[in-house]
Amino acid sequence: MRVNPNYSADMVNLMDQAQQNENNAAQELSTGRRVSLPSDDPAAEAAMIGENSRSAAVDQYTANSDSLTSVLNTANSTLTSVNSLLQRAVTLGVEGANGSMNQSDLNSIAEEVSNIQSQMLSLANTSYAGHYLFAGTATGSPPYVADTANPSQIDYVGNDQQNKVQIGTGLSVSANLPGSSIFSQSGANVFDALQSLVTALQEGNSSAIATAQTSVSSALSAVGTAQVFYGSTVDELTTNETFLSQEKLNITTYENTLVSADTAAAATSVTQDENVLNATVEAAAKMNQSCLLNYIQ
Amino acid sequence: MGLTADLNVSVQSLLASTESMDVTTTNMANMNTPGYARRRVVLEESAPSGDDQSSTGVDVKTVQSLRDSVLDLSINANTAQQNLNSTLSSSLSAVQELFSDTASGSVGSSIDSFFSSLQQLSTSPADSSLRSGVLTAAANVASAFQSTATVISQAQQQADRSVVQSTDDANSLLQQIAATNAQISTAQDLGQSSNSDQDQLSSLLSQLSAIMDYKTVNSSDGLTLTTSEGVPLVVGSKAYPLTSQVNSSGFNDVYAGNTDITGTIEGGNLGGYLQARDQTLTSLGSQLDQFAYQFAKAVNTVQTAGSDANGNAGTALFNPPDTTTGYAAGAASAIAVALTSGSQIAAASTGGASGDSSNLTQMLNLQNQAIIGGSTPTDAFSNLTFDIGNTVSQANSNATAIGNILTQLQNQQGSVQGVSLDEESSNLLLYQRSYEAAAKVISTVDTLMGNILDMGVTNPGY
Repeated sequence: MRVNPNYSADMVNLMDQAQQNENNAAQELSTGRRVSLPSDDPAAEAAMIGENSRSAAVDQYTANSDSLTSVLNTANSTLTSVNSLLQRAVTLGVEGANGSMNQSDLNSIAEEVSNIQSQMLSLANTSYAGHYLFAGTATGSPPYVADTANPSQIDYVGNDQQNKVQIGTGLSVSANLPGSSIFSQSGANVFDALQSLVTALQEGNSSAIATAQTSVSSALSAVGTAQVFYGSTVDELTTNETFLSQEKLNITTYENTLVSADTAAAATSVTQDENVLNATVEAAAKMNQSCLLNYIQ
Repeated sequence: MGLTADLNVSVQSLLASTESMDVTTTNMANMNTPGYARRRVVLEESAPSGDDQSSTGVDVKTVQSLRDSVLDLSINANTAQQNLNSTLSSSLSAVQELFSDTASGSVGSSIDSFFSSLQQLSTSPADSSLRSGVLTAAANVASAFQSTATVISQAQQQADRSVVQSTDDANSLLQQIAATNAQISTAQDLGQSSNSDQDQLSSLLSQLSAIMDYKTVNSSDGLTLTTSEGVPLVVGSKAYPLTSQVNSSGFNDVYAGNTDITGTIEGGNLGGYLQARDQTLTSLGSQLDQFAYQFAKAVNTVQTAGSDANGNAGTALFNPPDTTTGYAAGAASAIAVALTSGSQIAAASTGGASGDSSNLTQMLNLQNQAIIGGSTPTDAFSNLTFDIGNTVSQANSNATAIGNILTQLQNQQGSVQGVSLDEESSNLLLYQRSYEAAAKVISTVDTLMGNILDMGVTNPGY
């Protein structure tokens, strides 16, 4: 069979191919990625879009958990203060109820309980970054205000709504507990109990003091029960953050298998392609040397 | 047999050798000429002459071009396909980058950021800076749609300009082909060799196959060229130039005569530009419009079902869509944020307090709902990434595969029609020797004839 005498096009083709392969491998090495454009591996790129979105969502769930944790911790420590104030009020009620005190002593106890009551008001109106923590979702204004007709009575003007914050796909936690479930539960209203204790102390009525002290005790235990919400939610967030960081790691690992360059293979490829290129160039340079014309005299 | 006959035979031989050397020279001179097929002298014994019919000289029967027309056809068809694929790939390269996972500000990543901003807002629904953040993220979504739509439309316009340019290039070739047809037919009528015209024709056809696909038929008045659907392009010495007419989409359709052949060009650069412009990019553009339209509609539906920070009913976050007509065309380039203040984001359900986030939860749920033609927003974008990536990837691998086939075919073609210097040099030696031999015979006959004439001179007395 006759051989194609014009080998140069073939040679150029081979050199182009070797050069292209070498460039690709070098690009993989420099970018660390096997896939740079959708056409490099359409399926991997399509999967990357999904993984990037998942990864962004995981980042956001983590950020949600972080900011929620600060809010809940603030609320929780507020309730811890509430707790100790109420305990002090119970102690004062017990002291006032044992009948050994004169009215002047009872009056000063009443004074202290009254102070507790006003501290309680400011704690119940605690805000975080300008938003009231115990107002339900009516976070724009203080949830506890003195009743206009009867200033010694504290009214709840928030609502009993709870917001949900997503901390995972299909997973959300309540972000707040309304004051109506903490301070002003029916039968265990902190402000009413404190007010009745102040009144009983001022009146010097031992049995009324004892009744009021019992009310404060039930309010205390009601607040304690409500406080569990914050502790358990923060625990849930902490556990979930551990899960999220594992999830993030899984996504990153999967993304790497999708698009990352095999550095060792790419480095080997650069060397091999360079050798092929050199060999082709040398062969091309040698092939032109002999021609019958050189020998015809 | 006589000396005169020998002389005649030798003269024929001289002429044949000279012609053979001419052909060798032509071959050597044109070894790098595109379309040139090596030629070879076909010699034959001439009719016997002389008294006893014993002297048989040599005649040049013809000068033959060594060309494999089937191979040529196959190469041209593959060239058309390779050019279609490489042109398609390069026409889409700028567009596909916008769908890469690393593209900053892509539709996909801006939608992710939009939902992240909503998530952030959900942790503190009354926070005005977080509300502004949502508006900024929404504006980024709108501008991602817009800039993607712009790049797609620019790529289409670029392809459209190239269609017109390719049409002009094709016309120039069609006219040259018609002219060459005429020359071949004239040469054949005069009984002359049309080898060089055939070479020229071969080169022109190969150039045309880079621009478009076509069919050829050999007829009595030369080569007839038609489109794949049989619309004439060149018949004999007449070329039917392509024209372009702007269609309703603002793009140029290609006409051969009065026939719209836009949809039937399936090869060459022209085929690649048309496929990119009319199929891949048009489809991508309308999918993007649907995407923008449905995304805006879904967000607006939730937004208008809630209450904003001031307790007012929520109003549409995005402009358009016009939900009354459901008209999505152009939505991707027209989408914009309609709200002016973050307080207008309807985070609360209707009548909810300023810190309520229950409507926000509904909006967040959109991220995992099949709101874009049966897919979630992320999946919808991911599908577009796959589609465009797959189209380019297939075009690239087709171009490579066809390139390998072409290399094979061109090697075969070279083995048939390529000029080998070694071969020509060796032929040159042969022809040189036969010329020398014939010349030697002539000089010998000359001597012999001289001897005979001398005989008369030396014996005048007889």
